[in-house]
Amino acid sequence: MNQPEILKPLKTWSHLATRRRKPSEYEIVSTNLHYTTDRPDAPFELDPNFGMAQWFKQNRNASPLKHADWNAFRDPDEIVYRTYNMLQDGQETYVLGLFDQFSARGHDAMLERTWAGSLARLYTPGRYLFHALQMGSAYLCQIAPASTMSNCAAYQGADSLRWLTHTAYRTAELAKTFGDIGFGQDERRYWETDPAWQGFRELIEKALVAWDWAESFTALNLITRPAVEEAVLRGLGQAARHNGDTLLGLLTDAQLADTQRHRRWAGALVKLALEQEGNREVLAGWVSKWEPLADAAIDAYCAALPDAPAVCAQAREATRAFRASIGL
Amino acid sequence: MALLERNEWYDIARNTNWTPTHVTEAELFPDVMTGAKGVPVEKWEVYDEPYKTSYPEYVRIQREKDAGAYSVKAALERSRMFEDADPGWVSILKAHYGAIALGEYAAMSAEARMARFGRAPGMRNMATFGMLDENRHAQLQLYFPHEHCSKDRQFDWAHKAYHSNEWGAIAARHTFDDLFMARSATDIAVMLTFAFETGFTNMQFLGLAADAAEAGDFTFASLISSIQTDESRHAQIGGPALQVMIANGRKEEAQKLVDVGIARAWRLFSLLTGTSMDYATPLEHRKQSFKEFMLEWIVGQFERTLIDLGLDLPWYWNQMIAEFDYQHHAYQMGIWFWRPTLWWNPAAGMTPDCRDWLEEKYPGWNDSFGKVWDVIIDNLLAGRHELTLPETLPMICNMSQLPICAVPGNGWNVKDYPLDYQGRTYHFNSEIDRWVFQQDPARYRDHMSLVDRFLAGQIQPPNLMGALQYMNLAPGEIGDDAHKYAWAEAYRNNPYQKKAA
Repeated sequence: MNQPEILKPLKTWSHLATRRRKPSEYEIVSTNLHYTTDRPDAPFELDPNFGMAQWFKQNRNASPLKHADWNAFRDPDEIVYRTYNMLQDGQETYVLGLFDQFSARGHDAMLERTWAGSLARLYTPGRYLFHALQMGSAYLCQIAPASTMSNCAAYQGADSLRWLTHTAYRTAELAKTFGDIGFGQDERRYWETDPAWQGFRELIEKALVAWDWAESFTALNLITRPAVEEAVLRGLGQAARHNGDTLLGLLTDAQLADTQRHRRWAGALVKLALEQEGNREVLAGWVSKWEPLADAAIDAYCAALPDAPAVCAQAREATRAFRASIGL
Repeated sequence: MALLERNEWYDIARNTNWTPTHVTEAELFPDVMTGAKGVPVEKWEVYDEPYKTSYPEYVRIQREKDAGAYSVKAALERSRMFEDADPGWVSILKAHYGAIALGEYAAMSAEARMARFGRAPGMRNMATFGMLDENRHAQLQLYFPHEHCSKDRQFDWAHKAYHSNEWGAIAARHTFDDLFMARSATDIAVMLTFAFETGFTNMQFLGLAADAAEAGDFTFASLISSIQTDESRHAQIGGPALQVMIANGRKEEAQKLVDVGIARAWRLFSLLTGTSMDYATPLEHRKQSFKEFMLEWIVGQFERTLIDLGLDLPWYWNQMIAEFDYQHHAYQMGIWFWRPTLWWNPAAGMTPDCRDWLEEKYPGWNDSFGKVWDVIIDNLLAGRHELTLPETLPMICNMSQLPICAVPGNGWNVKDYPLDYQGRTYHFNSEIDRWVFQQDPARYRDHMSLVDRFLAGQIQPPNLMGALQYMNLAPGEIGDDAHKYAWAEAYRNNPYQKKAA
């Protein structure tokens, strides 16, 4: 019988050791961490076919978007946990600084009452939408076929909680100046019934139940998020500046910095997928399925924005430009 | 005016449930993923997490914590801890990283499940932080051992273990998949954060950090304490979920989840922590026996937590306490005897002083387990090394995936607890393991233990060599005695004499 060779220590994990260069901290701590993808027929070390196993076999392993090695995916920003916190602690220091400075100069008291009404209707109900995005990223985190994707989704989910937190903060603060127009009270009613929000609500409710991991990624990261970012962050920010609300404009700009990061890794994931023949058609099919819902959401929301007539067309165009920029 | 206090806006940030109309509630929160146990959504909305934090606080505090943990590592990088530490301690590190790092990463997926499918917004927000915490714990516990890869091939297993069919890795996956990875959000809140983290890992990490400091491994001590501060926060997700279930007439369901969770956690815990504390930890660094530790923390503290929540003690509580006396001793024999099948070098923990200590902590140890070690020692001293090594696989429990074992020698109580279910006979280590299976057979039914795979011809050639290949273990990384058998020399011409009582 052949004697097996005696293994020697390596400079890094054996799965990274065949390459010729030293792995980065990002690669050491982020790559190939999902053991549940090792055996396609049995995701868990349990019965291969009970309910949860079926869920993963169907929605992750049997996705129509195929690739021989999803673990090849890399976050272009190479964010790891500790750099995420450094980055976002700095960003939060900036945002809290804005809140503090604008509060000190009596910003809210200088807002027009009609604009405050617009905020109660078009801004503060956004916390439901941001929270839904947070939930959507948490789903991708647990269902993605590569740990490098799950990590991006985890940080993205936290970013969405960040936006929700800013919104809750401002809701409470605005209620101090405008105690009688429903801040902190009426958001759920606006979110569930106001025509401005119904397109986004339909889009996100449906996107949240797109269980196939890749369709979920497409519906959320390539369709829903860009629509939210262009309408509810950029569009609203523009309307805010046109109504003397400098704070909200700066706040949405700060939030948009997160979206740049999200779009970079979403683009990298699409690029990886497009290496494989047949995937372009799969992605295109999903884009054409979801895009009309996003367009309707943008239209309904932007039509309600005061003093920002161009936003609607700009937002639709920007979402398409993003998709075009990543090859779709 | 200045910045608002957190409590002025916190409730708004966790008021995010809405009534969907384009999909149904049942579609948005499917039972397989949510597991709400029939408690309606409005009842879940009273959920109130006891430990509150917010996004800006989280990123600030976590940045500071990481700065601390990584700077301790950097400062001690040139220390000779690794070279100078007792080999038993290094073995604990290898076993720990291999068994834990990717398990922590799996826990990120479980936290993500609560963040998506938890029925209460407060639970979803806290689980979002929990998801980040577990991401942190996986990354720290990969980054720290990685520096040792170039010195010792066994450290590769910090990353590799979960991707292998090594038996301990199979047991760890089976346990963690059952406790959280393949559970609904509600089950995870109870089984992962309450039963496992509140009950077991919190104290495991406290104990381990103390042991590390005692062993002079300050890098590991600071790492583990830092992780523990996260655990003690997100472990609190489960308590209020249990309260909601109990308040809505679901005590029986809640109790069952807790009982299954503790049963599964206990088995793996006795394997890893029991053997570390009573054998691998050098004698001079031992503060408490594993049994004393369990009695203090599980029986003393966790028992009270269960009662305070309105739960009962698991039906098997006395049986589990009885196992504190022997189960981990049996696992230690298994670990040491089957040492080529490990990714670390087990310490025997078998000097005469160790045996005195074991006798003191576990009266009767020398007449039961000690007798088996006597035979091993005789064989080692007589140069019959091959008789101290395995040729076959042990009987394996179809629940714990660990050898079926108990007390040898005087007081022999090793027994199989079989179960015939749908034409297959399953084997269990105890009434407790069998009971877990019976609670939800569909979860476990078609899983094959390592021995089942061996008997089905999946392991070729059907001998130890084939088994090692199947486990992805090769010379250069397979386990051997941590101290190169030096401890056995103490018995040459000097058989162990039990100290007079």
